[in-house]
Amino acid sequence: MGLWTLLKSGLVLDIYFFKNNRAQLVSMFAWPYILLALMLGMGFLFGSAETFKSNVGVEADPVVFFIASTLVAMASMSVMWEVGGTVLYHRWIGTLPYVLIAPYRTSITLVMSYVPRYLLWSFMQLAEFIPVLVWREGLVGGLTDTLVMGLAIVVGMLPLLGFAAIFSALLLTIKEETNILGWLNPIILILSGAFYPAYLFPAWARLLSMLLPTTYTFELARLSSLLGAPKLAEMTFLIAVLFGMSFLYNALSFTLMGKAESRALRSGAV
Amino acid sequence: MKEEVVTAENLRKNYETYLRKGLLKRERKVIEALKGVSFKIYRGEVFGLLGPNGAGKTTTVKILSTLLLPDSGNAFVLGYDVVKDAVEVRKRIGVSLTVEKGFFWKLTGRENLMYFGMLYGLDGPELRERVQRMLELVGLEELGSSDKLYEEYSLGMKARLSIARALLTDPDLLILDEPTLGLDPPSARLLRELLIKVAHQEGKTVLITTHNMFEAEIVCDRLAIINEGTIVAMDTVDGLKRLVSEDITLEMLVVLPARVSLRQLKEEIAGVVSGRVEVDPTEEGTRIRVVLKPSEKEQVTQEMLRRLHSMGCSVRRIEVKEPTLEDVFIELTGGK
Repeated sequence: MGLWTLLKSGLVLDIYFFKNNRAQLVSMFAWPYILLALMLGMGFLFGSAETFKSNVGVEADPVVFFIASTLVAMASMSVMWEVGGTVLYHRWIGTLPYVLIAPYRTSITLVMSYVPRYLLWSFMQLAEFIPVLVWREGLVGGLTDTLVMGLAIVVGMLPLLGFAAIFSALLLTIKEETNILGWLNPIILILSGAFYPAYLFPAWARLLSMLLPTTYTFELARLSSLLGAPKLAEMTFLIAVLFGMSFLYNALSFTLMGKAESRALRSGAV
Repeated sequence: MKEEVVTAENLRKNYETYLRKGLLKRERKVIEALKGVSFKIYRGEVFGLLGPNGAGKTTTVKILSTLLLPDSGNAFVLGYDVVKDAVEVRKRIGVSLTVEKGFFWKLTGRENLMYFGMLYGLDGPELRERVQRMLELVGLEELGSSDKLYEEYSLGMKARLSIARALLTDPDLLILDEPTLGLDPPSARLLRELLIKVAHQEGKTVLITTHNMFEAEIVCDRLAIINEGTIVAMDTVDGLKRLVSEDITLEMLVVLPARVSLRQLKEEIAGVVSGRVEVDPTEEGTRIRVVLKPSEKEQVTQEMLRRLHSMGCSVRRIEVKEPTLEDVFIELTGGK
């Protein structure tokens, strides 16, 4: 018995879901392209690729830029929505008690059994963009972009797990039937600079932006969209910040989740 | 010496609820779910918690399953504290809290068991073999339903799958909260037979909650009757029945030969029985009714039959009337 089987259980659950729900599989592949098309379509309404470069102020291919944003936005939303929402989902279908009696700490069960799902979904979505990236940047450039985005997805997940676990603990405790992350997610994405560069924000929003791990994940992903070779020094800095935040948020969530678990088990919320 | 699998000591639990009073105001209300519940369950025993709705059965079961913390008191499963050693307790229990849900609808029965098996730490060939064995044990394989989606299952199939999951890790203790609730008679019977088999042939200890008297009587080795958060009685089924009445009634319908009078018959029977004897003629024959101590039942019945035979009487019907578990339940729970 160990964490490996716990991780594997999450992966197996998703594989079974895909096997039995083909529509879900198709929609998973279609969704990033739909979102990208929407972003690009709106972008081209405002002007050409050259206009985009001068407006945003970066030397980036808008297609690659939006692929990076789309992937990271979706991956980040997925972590926060799914880890937080998993408590609700299990509660609705009645599996929550049976998941919680797994022989691990509740926070470990909820977070670890989700990780394979996240990686599977995110990498499948990243993989489907490889042809576009290779078309825009050439073979080497496209694969380098894929690698950097993959790194952003993995490293960006670590602090978000703790971040999302705090919300999942909250949902467990207050016996809430709506996922508050549903309305919180867009705010987090805006503050992280998913749609507008963070330097345009007022001071208070910039401060909040600095506290959010997603800000650095977006930056990391966007480095891949800049024209020319990736800037290693910047990448290393962002990865270091994300690791630091991972430690901070996961330590915090571990403590809070313990308290929330105990409160939930005392109040009969399970 | 019998091994204690479950020990509950003076468990107490209150729930806080809030009653809405207008738009902004709410009133705090405390519900005393358990008021000091204590009992022990021994290895290989099927122990029933019998009580009306809201008596505290599910609260007790949830505490023992590590899904609820008691306010005070202690509970141990195989010596592990359900609060301090929750992870160790979880490794040793199998739980079924409800039969109509608790699985993924878009997964088959087998896939559901594979997932939960992994979640509980099983893997590889051991997991596959265990899943297959459980599907066979609960009869889903025989029904050809192991690889059907859970959403296509009948309630009976769902109940079987729930028991299969509870047994998946080969636990020492099975905790089942109303496992036959809502099932049709054949499914309920099959499940009861399965529980008896699991306990008596495979040496599992089973804690079952129910308010089905018939089920409690045939499945449980010992029973605790719980009412308003307190255990009001705990014993074997026979022991509980004796709490209501010490006596049983033996009734016989006989046909007398012409030479035997009712008086002669009554005197003959009174010589065998220490208690009250009634002899009444009816359209079908003569009805004899005697009141006995349970310990006298077999000896008195045999002696009565011998004497009736020697008198030339033919016995048409024998009936033993004793208090039912329902009588005990109603008496002890105040008719709730």
